[in-house]
Amino acid sequence: MLDTLVAGLLRGNVYALGAVGISLVFGVMNVVNFAQFSFFGLGAMLAWFFVAQEGLPFWLALPLVLVVCAGLGLLVNVAVVRPLARFLPLAAMLSTYAVSQILDNASQLAFTAQFRVFPKVLPTSNLHVGSMRFGTSDLVMLGVTATVMLGMSAFLRYGKVGQAIRATAQDQEAALQVGIPVGLVQHLSFVIASALGGLAGVFVSLYVGVANPTSGLTTGMTAFVAAALGGLGSLVGAVVGGFVLGIVEAFGISLAGDTARQIIVFAVLVVVLVVRPGGLLGKVPLIATEPLTGTFLGKGRPLRVPRWVWPAAFVLGGIVVPFVADDYVLTTGTQVLVYAVIAAGFTVTAGQAGVVALGQAGPIAIGAYTSALLTLHLHVSFWVALPVAGLVAAVIASILSSPVWGVKGHYVSIATLGVGTAIVAVIQLVLPQGIYGIPVPTWAGTPLSTPRAYYLVDAGVLALTLLVTWRLRASHLGKVISSVGSDEVAALASGVRVRDYKALAFAVSAFFAGIGGSLLAHQYTYIDPTIFTMLMSLLVVTIVIMGGVSLPYGAVVGSLVLIGAMELLRFTPELRIIAYGLVLILVVRFRPGGILVRTA
Amino acid sequence: MTTITRRALLAGVAALGSAALLAGCGLNDSAAASTPGSGTVYFGVSAAITGQYAQYGEQFKEGFDLALDQVNAKGGIDGHPVALKYEDSQSDPKQSVSVAQKFVGDKDVVLVFGDYSSAASIPASPIYTAGKLLQYGFNNSNPSFTTKGSQYQWSTSITTSATYQWTADYIKKQGVSSVGVTYLDTADWGIPAFAAFKAEADKVGLTITDAEGVLDSSDDYRPSLTKAVAGKPDAFVHIGYGPDAAKLVSQLRSIGYQGTFYGGQDEQSFDGTPDAEGSVVGAQFLASNPDPAVQAFVTAFKARYPNEKTVTGFEAGAYDALNVAVAAARLGGATREGILQGFQQLKDVPSVVYGSITFDPATRRVASPQLTPTVLRGGTWVALHG
Repeated sequence: MLDTLVAGLLRGNVYALGAVGISLVFGVMNVVNFAQFSFFGLGAMLAWFFVAQEGLPFWLALPLVLVVCAGLGLLVNVAVVRPLARFLPLAAMLSTYAVSQILDNASQLAFTAQFRVFPKVLPTSNLHVGSMRFGTSDLVMLGVTATVMLGMSAFLRYGKVGQAIRATAQDQEAALQVGIPVGLVQHLSFVIASALGGLAGVFVSLYVGVANPTSGLTTGMTAFVAAALGGLGSLVGAVVGGFVLGIVEAFGISLAGDTARQIIVFAVLVVVLVVRPGGLLGKVPLIATEPLTGTFLGKGRPLRVPRWVWPAAFVLGGIVVPFVADDYVLTTGTQVLVYAVIAAGFTVTAGQAGVVALGQAGPIAIGAYTSALLTLHLHVSFWVALPVAGLVAAVIASILSSPVWGVKGHYVSIATLGVGTAIVAVIQLVLPQGIYGIPVPTWAGTPLSTPRAYYLVDAGVLALTLLVTWRLRASHLGKVISSVGSDEVAALASGVRVRDYKALAFAVSAFFAGIGGSLLAHQYTYIDPTIFTMLMSLLVVTIVIMGGVSLPYGAVVGSLVLIGAMELLRFTPELRIIAYGLVLILVVRFRPGGILVRTA
Repeated sequence: MTTITRRALLAGVAALGSAALLAGCGLNDSAAASTPGSGTVYFGVSAAITGQYAQYGEQFKEGFDLALDQVNAKGGIDGHPVALKYEDSQSDPKQSVSVAQKFVGDKDVVLVFGDYSSAASIPASPIYTAGKLLQYGFNNSNPSFTTKGSQYQWSTSITTSATYQWTADYIKKQGVSSVGVTYLDTADWGIPAFAAFKAEADKVGLTITDAEGVLDSSDDYRPSLTKAVAGKPDAFVHIGYGPDAAKLVSQLRSIGYQGTFYGGQDEQSFDGTPDAEGSVVGAQFLASNPDPAVQAFVTAFKARYPNEKTVTGFEAGAYDALNVAVAAARLGGATREGILQGFQQLKDVPSVVYGSITFDPATRRVASPQLTPTVLRGGTWVALHG
């Protein structure tokens, strides 16, 4: 009992540090900062480098790590985040994801990807409570966190600059009007957050014992959840959220095993958000519209697409490419098409209903497993299993997500991320073994297993998807869904049941996600839970944002750019991901509303 | 910036993009069409060069490159130099299928190594099979890679089930009667490994007091470990890899458990952990093995990579794999068909892992592979006798 509590406290300590940084940046800039995750890994590797390689004493290395992280944080904000955050938080969020890719891979180039044993700077098991051993190292970490938190809260309460940070967080425009240099305040917050991220990274590796450049991701994700749990923008909330999560995790694992960790984390999150839509200590968002997309419409300049482009694109993609391109281009094409199907369906939720759901890997996995199990065990034809996979994904994902539609603001994104992740975690619990030998589609007895056949099947499904989403947009139902995304308050005032329409939009998206999952399963002929990751969910969101959030055909362009770029950049293997990140940032910089945009 | 400059920039970016796209396709075609006349033999490598699994990609590359230098210094394959084409898959099936198709379409490539994980390797298998290109998953310990694959999937990795049957037998022979277990809760590796371990343990009468599934992405195992040793087992077994074993063994000691720690594969991030002292693993490859071939390899490896403190089974496996591929090409000819025939006929290829490799053509795996019990003493692995 007591030992589990101690384990939870130590764990929560790290989450709290990370969560404070995320909450701080969110408060003053309204941007969810994925780059923060990278500072965990970076802080750990820098500390390892200074102590183990350069032989510096730990107490000298620690401030150095903080200075480097703070400097990088400033650079990231000046160069990337702030120019975008001024007009589009969604674009800024996408660019922070790109920055995190660049930082992780730069760190990998500098330090290699090997796991490094972190030097033992302080005794780690010289004390004990009950049977739980811990060390001076853990006490120092708790002490440092407490000091930092107390210092931060005194600074925010009594310091002039701290007050400026709080004012900016409360109301940016009002802060500007009373003469607060909001730009400087934002830079400063970014610097503090990045340094805290670095510190948390050092602590994670002190606690865990080993580190590598990507080791911050899991901790970062949990810290992000902790920040949401406590209430984004609330620093006390972040600390509370961190400790609550650490302790809940420890007890959950002790009762149900490590595999249940993610399910526990996200179940707690969803329950808290449903009961307290603003997090434990945060304010309930006043603006009913999703802030990520609410200001989105009309910001970008639409590219005028002449009418002849549509038949031309259809002929090119559906007829010319399959009969001219080689198998490599066709295989890459199948991935582009499948993700285009998933993303085009997702525009109904993200674009029309205005909810940036982050957990699409969940319904994709449901579709893939449904289709695989139906064809393997019940010997159902692929052509029957495909729509059934979509339906099952829509039904299950809708039921599981039904509590979250009352949640507002960014929280709904985080809640859907929770549902999606939990779905995959449940699949891993129930069916941990991979599924082998999933039958390939056949047509009149001929197996459709060549790249060209897959391409044509996928292209056909995509054409149907675009047709359905286009008809949906034009229908009365589609207009109602769009009204929810454009102005939720007005929609409510007009008697539209906002929650129900969001749920319906999500069901439509989940249907197409399930279809996409089925297509992937029958092409790979093998699936296991490691395929349906958070990165897959992020890719779907990125594609939609890239293409223009409310345009189904924009998703095709987004998919082509994002999956195509990964392949086109193969000429520079080591720098591929860094180049990919730069391409993302450039596109976002010049087309912050997406490549194709629709005006309101 | 004015609207006009923005439009111009945008048009520029778009034009560049499409030019790159066209150039990309163009280059592909020309590369496939014009085979270099030098007669270089190309093997493909589909592996994680970036991302979560990049460290294994790096280890493989070190082993490959060393073997490659030695092969080419001795005249390559019948006078033809050997070269590798690397493609980064991030061990992600979305990319590994494209990589597979790229290799299948590249007529110069006569064999492909990889991929790392089952989730990336198995989805690519049908493509290699259709392209009649041998997929040498030298690292795929998941038995299904070969059992569910075709005649084009081969592996020199000992299967997970064989490894952990051996482990259960060995632990029982040491006079241990009960063990606490953690295993990686992964579909392609940890779960079948634990199933094999448990079946064998039940057979030989080794009691498992508690078994906890853990994830390699977790950092804090204390809650699981506290539970796993609650029944006071004689010894502890971890079915997993080096990085997770390193975290586990430190945390196991920090909660005060002192029994012998069995398991975790012999990986450098594990043996650098002071708490790992005295741990026992069944090693495929042992750098301190006095065998002259192994010592020659270790010396050459350390000379080429002075920064690497230890040589592990990952580098040794890659080193062996390249030599096996070269031997097959010498035997059957450096074509796709020749390589396949070579693999079917290979006998007694010198190996730093197994001593020598002969395939069982029915399983397309190494026939009767053996493990060496090793203990970590003073930071290095040494063979245990008896």
